[in-house]
Amino acid sequence: MRRWDAPAPDERVAGDRSWEVVREAYEERIRVPRKRDWRPVAIVAVAAAVVAAAVTPPGHAVLGSLRDAVRGERNASPALVSLPTPHSRLLVKSAAGTWVVQSDGSKRLLRGYHDASWSPHGIYIAAVRGHELRALEPNGAVHWSIGRKGTIRAPRWSFDGFRIAYFAGPTLRVINGDGTQDRVLTRDARAGVSAWQPASHVLAYVNAAGNIVVRDADRPTRLAVIRTRLAPRQLQWTTNGRLLVAVGSHTIGIFAPRGPQLRRIDTGAATIAASSVSPDGKSVAFIEAGPDQSSLQITGTGAGPTREIFKGVGIFSNVVWSPDGRVLLLDWSSARQWLFIHSVPVKRIAAVSNIRANFGKEPSLMGWCCP
Amino acid sequence: MAGSRGDERAWIRGAQSGSVPDLEALFRHHWPRAYRAAYLVVHDSAAAEDIAQEAFLAAVRGLDRFDRRRPFGPWLHRIVVNRAIDWSRSRALRRESGDAWLGLVAAPAPPDGEHAQTLAAALADLSPEHRAVIVMRHLLEYTPGEIAEALGLPRGTVNSRLRRGLDELADLLDEDLQ
Repeated sequence: MRRWDAPAPDERVAGDRSWEVVREAYEERIRVPRKRDWRPVAIVAVAAAVVAAAVTPPGHAVLGSLRDAVRGERNASPALVSLPTPHSRLLVKSAAGTWVVQSDGSKRLLRGYHDASWSPHGIYIAAVRGHELRALEPNGAVHWSIGRKGTIRAPRWSFDGFRIAYFAGPTLRVINGDGTQDRVLTRDARAGVSAWQPASHVLAYVNAAGNIVVRDADRPTRLAVIRTRLAPRQLQWTTNGRLLVAVGSHTIGIFAPRGPQLRRIDTGAATIAASSVSPDGKSVAFIEAGPDQSSLQITGTGAGPTREIFKGVGIFSNVVWSPDGRVLLLDWSSARQWLFIHSVPVKRIAAVSNIRANFGKEPSLMGWCCP
Repeated sequence: MAGSRGDERAWIRGAQSGSVPDLEALFRHHWPRAYRAAYLVVHDSAAAEDIAQEAFLAAVRGLDRFDRRRPFGPWLHRIVVNRAIDWSRSRALRRESGDAWLGLVAAPAPPDGEHAQTLAAALADLSPEHRAVIVMRHLLEYTPGEIAEALGLPRGTVNSRLRRGLDELADLLDEDLQ
């Protein structure tokens, strides 16, 4: 038998990609100090707060606020009968799975699926079931699936649908849109945070050190490492790909595509619970969560003041823009309501109550699609 | 890159003391055979990349404990081939379909060369266990004794798998097997 000495398919490019992964692992051999476990402290603090709420005058005031927090907007519709943007669709996560909501209010449960996201034109969904990443149609027809070790989460489609980035355990992986060529992009990534730059196969993610890495998923080289103290929990590009919005616990940083930071919005002690960049890329809506109330704020990506759009008692858990940028959908989770906040031509709020009755336990917004 | 035994010892010593260029030299020297071995067992370039990459990562994790007097290749290849066999066995259990929806992506590149294509196709028809011993014997050029040690098999089993695998290949290929 002749000796095999021909290169195998993709041998060179796979070697280049893998060398980057191996080099990163080699450079990360210095161990990170183990974080302190704050759970016992938190349990004691929660117990103390409950006692205070029950026996003190300020505690009674807090309980009154809690009643407001679960009441929400008055005159809310008891059911979601339609979406304000025609031909659009929502993805809603619940304990039972992922719901696909059509613009006429009809909805379908994709039972057992979670971490779902839309393909660029909303024709397909990438979602996780068990240890598999699947690409499926909104009617549940599965086109392909791939199993991987570790917890799979946060699949994200590139602008053209040719690539999907996702996390499997501690690794950030990329697979082609047709389910082929699955590969590790890096093992030096914080799970769950990645964003494709529009009109490219450039992916931004956060490495273990908390810095933002920008790299071309098709080539084995990093384009930029943007050093920041933000510890971003969310990354999003503006539609033209010229700005990268990184959201930390108390700060929003707006960066040029390869750095530096162009703008910084601090919220002081208030925590940023969620954010969403408008489809035209000019605004960022974000939720400030205080100790007893939440507020929805909007600021410009380039410049301009930060304006409060809506404030309420309790917890706002997510906000998303409609595909046409005319409506903000606010998830007021403690009130079990959704608020459709119309900004054009005049501010108007339409509330839908009984969200839990509509979608079951633990409902939360995943995405609103598509242009 | 000469790749002599002395070079390899120097690269390992350098990598153990923190030299990225030495680690890269070690990686570049061993990558082609590790990747080819994985590919010829699993017949899936993405899986081969994962398997070979994970073997190198295991090497990085164990670098400080690695005995420089021992050759690096056999240790690496043992990991690669065992993982490739495991992957091939579990593939049937892992539901995976890849119909060409959307027509998005170009087809993966075929193996280079007519001989390589024919051989790769024929190997794909063998069981993972037969593929593994043939790849170790004829690509990585280990002796049956070394293969037996790497795979944790009796030497007689290795010999019989080699014989049966080569017989099957002979039926599949239009060329003489030696």
